[in-house]
Amino acid sequence: MNKIVSKLSLLILTAVSLGFLGRLGGLSFHQALSVSIFSASIIGTLFFWDFRLSFAFIGTAILLATKTTDLEHVIKFSSLEVILFLVGMMVIIGLLRQEGFFAWIVSLILRIRNLSARKFVFSVAIASALLACAVDEVTSIIFIVAAVLEICDYFEVDAVPFIIISVLATNIGSAGTVLGNPIGILIATKSGLTFEDFIVKAFPLAMLALLSMIFLVLYWYRKELKKLDEQIARLGSDEILYHLIAVPPDRKTKAALSLFGATLFLLAFSHRLDLLWGLENNTVLLVIPLVSAALIMIWKHSQARHFIEKDVEWWTLLFFLMLFVQAGTLKYTGATEVLARNIAGFTGNNEGLLVSVVLWVSAIGSSILDNVVMVAAFVPIVQGFGSLQVNLQPLWWALLFGGCFGGNITLVGSTANIVAIGLLEKERNFRMTFFRWFWVGLTVGIVSTVIVWVALVTLPVYR
Amino acid sequence: MKVKEIMKKPVTSLKPDENALEALKYLFQRRISGLPVIDEKGRLLGMFTEKEIISYILPSYLEQVGRFVYEVDPKAVMQKAQHLSGLKVKDIMRQHVATVEEDTSLCEAAHLMLTQKARRILVLDKNKSVLGIIAREDVLKALLGDCK
Repeated sequence: MNKIVSKLSLLILTAVSLGFLGRLGGLSFHQALSVSIFSASIIGTLFFWDFRLSFAFIGTAILLATKTTDLEHVIKFSSLEVILFLVGMMVIIGLLRQEGFFAWIVSLILRIRNLSARKFVFSVAIASALLACAVDEVTSIIFIVAAVLEICDYFEVDAVPFIIISVLATNIGSAGTVLGNPIGILIATKSGLTFEDFIVKAFPLAMLALLSMIFLVLYWYRKELKKLDEQIARLGSDEILYHLIAVPPDRKTKAALSLFGATLFLLAFSHRLDLLWGLENNTVLLVIPLVSAALIMIWKHSQARHFIEKDVEWWTLLFFLMLFVQAGTLKYTGATEVLARNIAGFTGNNEGLLVSVVLWVSAIGSSILDNVVMVAAFVPIVQGFGSLQVNLQPLWWALLFGGCFGGNITLVGSTANIVAIGLLEKERNFRMTFFRWFWVGLTVGIVSTVIVWVALVTLPVYR
Repeated sequence: MKVKEIMKKPVTSLKPDENALEALKYLFQRRISGLPVIDEKGRLLGMFTEKEIISYILPSYLEQVGRFVYEVDPKAVMQKAQHLSGLKVKDIMRQHVATVEEDTSLCEAAHLMLTQKARRILVLDKNKSVLGIIAREDVLKALLGDCK
């Protein structure tokens, strides 16, 4: 009880102090209040994760009651396009799960022939990264963890290093496409960057970071890999793994896969279709998941409600919606513009320095906070740089990579980490210590962020 | 009719520190699927059932991975089953249990059984101590009796 009171006191004290500091620094009452409320929501998610939606609701209600924002702007800043995109994708993921797509992926990993430790690391890391790109990091990590646990159990080795490797790869891979992470679609809609931009600019950089991560973990976990090789030699053939699970071939599975493939294909060409039909950037990108979800609900009409009620994570989406409103209110009141002016003044409007600030602050911030919270706070600040004649494109990329790669630093850095550790704890009755994750996470986090940093500052393609 | 009129007592129960494997063998012996777990003061702690044991033995991510068929038994599942003897009843029991007070009506008990998917309901007094137990069969028999 005392712990709760002290956390709550710290939350209120920090939020009020930030508001007062803002007032002293020249912010108006409403600007300072929007800063206070947003910081309370952020700290609320950090201290009271299970109550984050309550904090977000109360915060938005205070903003409305104090006339810091109005209903019109609540709707405007709620980023409904992002929410609807995520709803569509969640329905598609629900269908894929139901039709055995993820189990099929698990069975493919279990059937790797002539397994060696290195082959296992490469396969798991690449599969984690690519699947995070294709679906999303939280969905993909569940079945990758399932495959890793089965293989480690069979060969009687510690699963922890391999689970950590798959999570590190998942977070890195999640920066590769718009689909990998909710911050991808958030940045795409706010910046106007297209799916094609992500494929051309973010994907190669994510793959480069992935490669560096693989070599790093091969060295970091060399003893564990040696042990796995010894166990593979001792236990011999992996016939049990080969036959462990099967997804009975079914016409519906093929149809679900075809629908998913068509969705991915159209998403990849969404910008071309925007241009062809004279639509605003990313219109087709937002429309495709909705059309796919609609087709699924027609096809599986008896389960349509199930898809919407069970497969769509309304709790998370409502939290995002409230968060976007509060971050938007920072913009509406002009607070983020003041902050953007100060940051730009501090960096002397130097583009390279600004990219560095955004990249490293978002990476460090995302290692502690949910990356959606971090990026939602940063979006209006980056937009604020726009009025200062700063080229925004490298800043958006910095925000994307900082938000995704920073999640690797600590065990609470991203939802994928929390989900994977939760499964590990439940399945193996194992308690992950902060430092067992931290040193390897920090090293991978720093190396991958440095790679992106060099690329963003030196390569003209990112400007 | 009130549940106190049809509840069975005394309630056969398990203690939280009993060995899980021994407790399971006791369930087999009595040909029942579960028993309440009650502390020394008679307070309800949870429910130990065959379902909870199956749920413990199988991987927790099964539902999330989606549709598939086990063609052989995974090593980890067999190991978990063997490790049952190292666990206590309280490690596996389900903590959420459907309960009613002794003055609850039969229909309300039936309502709870349906909405909470409960096969049996524990009857508690004001101090949360277990007084008795009612099963679906008891409720149905009593309701049919009322119909007559």
